[in-house]
Amino acid sequence: MPSARRVVITGLGAVTSIGTTVSEFWRNLLDGVCGIRPLSLFDASAYRTQTAAEVRDIPDGFLSAADKRRMSRADRMGLAAAREAFAQAGLDASRADPTRIGVILGGGTSGLLDSEEVYEKWLHGRRARPSRVLNHLPDAITDRVAQRFGLEGIKSTITTACSSAANAMGYAYDAIAGNLADAVVTGGSDVLARLTYGGFNSLRSVDPDPCRPFDRERRGLSIGEAAGILVFEEEEYARRRGAHVLGEFLGYGVTSDAFHMTAPDPSGAAGGRTIRAALENAGADPGEVDYVNAHGTATPQNDSAETAALKSALGERAREIPVSSIKSMIGHCLCASGAIEAIATLMTVRDGRVPPTIHYENPDPACDLDYVPNEARERPVRVALSNSFAFGGNSSVVVIGRYE
Amino acid sequence: MNPVITGTGAVSPLGRTSNEFYRRLLAGESSIRPFTPEERGSLQATHVARYDGFIPQPEIPAMKARRFDRGSQFAILACSQAIAEAGYDVAKSPESVGIALGTGSAGAGALTEFLRVLILESPEAAPPFHFPNTVANAPASQVSIELKLFGPNVTITQKDPSGLNAVLFSALAISSGRARAMLAGAVDEWNAVYAMGFDQVGALRGARRASGIIQGEGGFAVLLECEADARARNVRPLARLAGIGTAGVPGEPYRFAPDRRAIARAIRGALAAASAEPRDIHLWFPSANGVIEMDEAEAAVIRELFGGGALPPSIAVKAAIGEMAAAGGAQIVAACRALADPGAPFPRDAAPRRALVNSFGAGGNFFSAVFESVA
Repeated sequence: MPSARRVVITGLGAVTSIGTTVSEFWRNLLDGVCGIRPLSLFDASAYRTQTAAEVRDIPDGFLSAADKRRMSRADRMGLAAAREAFAQAGLDASRADPTRIGVILGGGTSGLLDSEEVYEKWLHGRRARPSRVLNHLPDAITDRVAQRFGLEGIKSTITTACSSAANAMGYAYDAIAGNLADAVVTGGSDVLARLTYGGFNSLRSVDPDPCRPFDRERRGLSIGEAAGILVFEEEEYARRRGAHVLGEFLGYGVTSDAFHMTAPDPSGAAGGRTIRAALENAGADPGEVDYVNAHGTATPQNDSAETAALKSALGERAREIPVSSIKSMIGHCLCASGAIEAIATLMTVRDGRVPPTIHYENPDPACDLDYVPNEARERPVRVALSNSFAFGGNSSVVVIGRYE
Repeated sequence: MNPVITGTGAVSPLGRTSNEFYRRLLAGESSIRPFTPEERGSLQATHVARYDGFIPQPEIPAMKARRFDRGSQFAILACSQAIAEAGYDVAKSPESVGIALGTGSAGAGALTEFLRVLILESPEAAPPFHFPNTVANAPASQVSIELKLFGPNVTITQKDPSGLNAVLFSALAISSGRARAMLAGAVDEWNAVYAMGFDQVGALRGARRASGIIQGEGGFAVLLECEADARARNVRPLARLAGIGTAGVPGEPYRFAPDRRAIARAIRGALAAASAEPRDIHLWFPSANGVIEMDEAEAAVIRELFGGGALPPSIAVKAAIGEMAAAGGAQIVAACRALADPGAPFPRDAAPRRALVNSFGAGGNFFSAVFESVA
């Protein structure tokens, strides 16, 4: 059931392959711009695929040269997004009680790109600068956000693969609803790395061409990277300080599929449980859902299982609501996907427009919902869902809506 | 509403069951040993607490065990013990039972092996069966598949306090109605490549460094559930989670911050949530792990909280099993067993008995929890 302490969203920040501010990102999503291009961050010639949705220019000019040397790419992207979110929220820890403001983020590859280079040197019997492995653990960005903005409240990092950021937002919601914090900076930052790029390729899960979610000819995912940061606040706390409220985090569902480490439950029963848990927590019923931001990875298994899950939980309503996958444009941002997709979902609520699923050409009888093919659409959105179905059966669905 | 603990599990060089682990801990045993010359290689670190000779049989048959990395094996055994001790029937309502595990190194073995082949041979040669286990959430997810849990499933990676952090997530999950029972704990596996990294950045105690940690490995879990459910099952809880406190300090992720105000804030937060005063604490599980400035700061805060009088008796779990995220899980298991053990070092008239568990990590991460006995 919904919590007595409501959680609103007052700031957003985004660094993506199609925009390094929220407004640029959102505009390009609506225009159907594809960020999946040849990978340049490391030499991908020996991998099965060579494309990714890579971030071109990280807006980290606000960091000193020494900062940038010390931090990983994921840290720089995460801090840039956090800076945008904080500026929008107008939150200032030095004029509030910093012990009541926390940071809960999804953990991704963090400094793995640097650790991989160190490991390569060690494997070849060479020495490497030890400082290059200092950012290896996934919680580096969480501590750095707290450090940058002077925050002294609860800190946590959730690492559940592709649902990391969704679960982080859920934990942030529970922490505020449970009166452990008045505000929490949440979301996630994840960057390309050889481990993840090679890993998904080794599973033959990657499409050499830009992915095509829900299409009958889909062949797999495109890997992306992004940072998405949201500022959550308890409703009264936000109103008292005159914050401008962007929307409301109505609740979330987090469940185990308990099915398989990499394959989703094709019947949709497991995913349906997660969606129902989210609606129950938000106090919403299927009839109120106006849009679903799908997990939509474009693997043959996910898209049909997700379609079945939506039908299982929403019944006939599933056929009436637009369901789109922005992974068709920004790729699968892995541990940050839940956050960047929640930001897009909140923008649909604010703008009354839903982004498309691009590269859609061939309908699949097993995927027969309205996936908003290729063109954005105007549609008032009062309540929306964002799905994250991760390896290990770590499934999470968040519910975002208009603040009323 | 404070959840109770009805089951515990431990898989550790100090014991393959929570009873054995607790008994040997109280007997003052330690599993810390010197590295062999082959293990040590170029490390300046001299000691470790590895679980030598661990095999997951008979509980996990060999063919099945091959699919699980070491952390997952620890987690499955520890969580199974907790469920069994609690007499909990998951199948009655699998949506109501979830898991939250903390970790620092889960996935390390699979990750380093996958990358080793990718780097030395080619991306094409890297073994796909390792990849799903390269993520920190593999142990919790493998447990959820083995035990058929449909409830919440999260893995927390916020350094050494991750076990208490997972207990906090679990308590929130229960109080918000997401679950009626949660397996909560922490798991770690020792890894030679990670050890080299920690050694080179100065985190490990050894021949050249007096201040630092000794690494360990193992899996520890408790079953937290609604007290009403335990009563309905006629199960006497071992302990109750009375309160958790946390504090953050802005700082570099890998630096220890011996911040006395933050330590006091975490402890006072736990006491306040438990409606307890410092004098109500009968047993203390220190976070002390060999990082000298942190250990001194903790001792100073405890002395001050106890009004300069005698410190409460303490059980130094990390002196027995080393430091890691899993150590926090071990402290929780030990605290709960002690609270339910008539032979544990509590005053005879303590009602309820109370234990304080401190768990502090680098990067300014501080957690404290108060557990109490159940009448």
